Amino acid sequence: MAVFLQSLISGVLIGGVYALIGIGLTLIFGVMRVINFAHGDILMVGMYLTYLIFTLLGIDPFVSVLITFPLMFLFGGFLQKVFINRVLNALAQNQILLTIGLGLIMSNTVMLIFTSDYKILTTSYSSASIKVGGGISVSTPLLISFLITAAITAALYWFLLKTDTGQAIRATAQDREAAQLMGINVKRMSIIAFGLGSALAGTAGALISPTYYIFPQVGGIFTLKAFVITVLGGMGSVIGATLGGILIGITESMGAVYISSGWKDVIVFVLFLLVLLFKPSGLMGKSRT
Amino acid sequence: MNKTLLKTILKAVLGLIILAFLLAIPRFVESPYALHMMILLFLSVMMGQSWNILGGYAGQHSVGHAAYFGVGAYTTMMLMHSKQIPPWIGVWAGMALVIVVALAIGSICFRLRGPYFVLASIAVAEILRLSAINLTTLTNGAEGILATELPAFKIGGTVVTDFLTKVPFYYIGLFLVVLTIVVTFLVQHSKLGYFFQAIREDQDAAHSLGISISLYKNIALVISAVLTSLAGSFYGIYVGFVDPPTVLGLDVSVQIMLICIIGGMGTLWGPVLGSLILVPLSEALRSNMITEALVKVGMVSADSKLGLFLKENLSHAHVLLYGILVVLVILFMPDGLMGFVRKLALRRKREAV
Repeated sequence: MAVFLQSLISGVLIGGVYALIGIGLTLIFGVMRVINFAHGDILMVGMYLTYLIFTLLGIDPFVSVLITFPLMFLFGGFLQKVFINRVLNALAQNQILLTIGLGLIMSNTVMLIFTSDYKILTTSYSSASIKVGGGISVSTPLLISFLITAAITAALYWFLLKTDTGQAIRATAQDREAAQLMGINVKRMSIIAFGLGSALAGTAGALISPTYYIFPQVGGIFTLKAFVITVLGGMGSVIGATLGGILIGITESMGAVYISSGWKDVIVFVLFLLVLLFKPSGLMGKSRT
Repeated sequence: MNKTLLKTILKAVLGLIILAFLLAIPRFVESPYALHMMILLFLSVMMGQSWNILGGYAGQHSVGHAAYFGVGAYTTMMLMHSKQIPPWIGVWAGMALVIVVALAIGSICFRLRGPYFVLASIAVAEILRLSAINLTTLTNGAEGILATELPAFKIGGTVVTDFLTKVPFYYIGLFLVVLTIVVTFLVQHSKLGYFFQAIREDQDAAHSLGISISLYKNIALVISAVLTSLAGSFYGIYVGFVDPPTVLGLDVSVQIMLICIIGGMGTLWGPVLGSLILVPLSEALRSNMITEALVKVGMVSADSKLGLFLKENLSHAHVLLYGILVVLVILFMPDGLMGFVRKLALRRKREAV
């Protein structure tokens, strides 16, 4: 029972970060109908940014989120304005290829600058844990990152539901043309959405940097996970991505404990295929044509 | 009428001249490096052309072709390594297995369209890659399979070749390239090709005309997968080593696609053109030719910090070039080089009239 609870808790904690990655991807897809294959690489840029801030300025990775978030927002806005915006009406495969290309450029530029060595960001609490009782302990960095994730997600919900800009973004996601007719500046909303998506991915990168190896190719794994999460939750649904993230976190950690850590990703992908086959609209998604 | 006939004859003659030239190359060129480059080129054309049948003609943009490449490479290598079955027999086993895998993948992925199809194709290839890492007893896991000793190829007791030089690989590669191009040509000019293109242009319209969508998509997939598996087997035997990331990784799938995208999808010569650009460029980066050229021209001094940095790192970053190329091609010539050239030719024709 202790093992079960332990893996459930660590699954939920890591799932929080996954949710952040998934929400970013789903926001971008919702507003622009573009599947961002560079999402994991944006996360990787966030990781290196955190690493740089930590080694050069000595700022704690969790505090540096305050710097990473706005910087990654600007980076995402730039990507949207310069590249993505030009292919909004292009064929789906061209959009996909463009983002794959952008991802390759990011990971290889980082490799040129930092070499492909694995970097580790060691903080005083990197391997610390808190004992909860009943033989269950919670990793401190994971717990902190989960709390920050929860705060960011709550703020994001508030932003999307209560502010004018948030409502305009949701309107654009629902029907781009109608939103435009209502006087919403959809181009600006697209830039904000891509900026937010990138900022969320970058933040996720910052949050996992104390517990993960940092290397230029780390993004690929997260791009694939982000897809699984968003498809599971329903493309374009923010609530779905939140649930999907936590569900994938739990699946992974349970799979690692009860089956084997080598096969845990296979389980995730099989789950993904099953969802695609039997409920392609996802858990929370409405079926769209 | 006469003009088109003349053109066809001219094209055929040109093709034969090029073929004769390619056949003669090993007689005059002894440098193993030059032959190696040609073999890489052949491999690239094979990979691109196989993808082209499914992606270019039938319009199903699979980003999981590493699955077929890897299954072909692994089957041949595993049979050779553990059962001492010579590769020219193992290849058939690889192709047979790939047909099974392709039909399984097809039955899952072809229910999905557009972006969902792309995601599913990636997921399947990833499952295979992770399986290759985890099934250590069968595939030797992440260490990969090393098998460089090829048995001599004999027909009735006489040794045809013992695979000691690169020349036999050159001829096998050339044969396979010609085979894939001929298959593509035949597909393009048969009813099958028209069905594929109808599905690509408008799936629903094709369906309402009575074309069985799933049947023809699966046929395109099987042809494409078998040819990709051949390329994979050839790669495995030539390099003598396979491991999960080099034959089953997502990079492989992207690279296969890229050859077509850059050259031009759905055209017979697009993959050839794409390979002619990609292979030399990435090889020039990999072997540090670009840094050396920069040093020679005097732009960068060899001992300066920048020179040393470039020398050390530029060779690792040939994938960066892929990225930049993709972005440029998608933004400025979405139909690839072939499409770009055609557009130019059309414009000139119009201006001439």
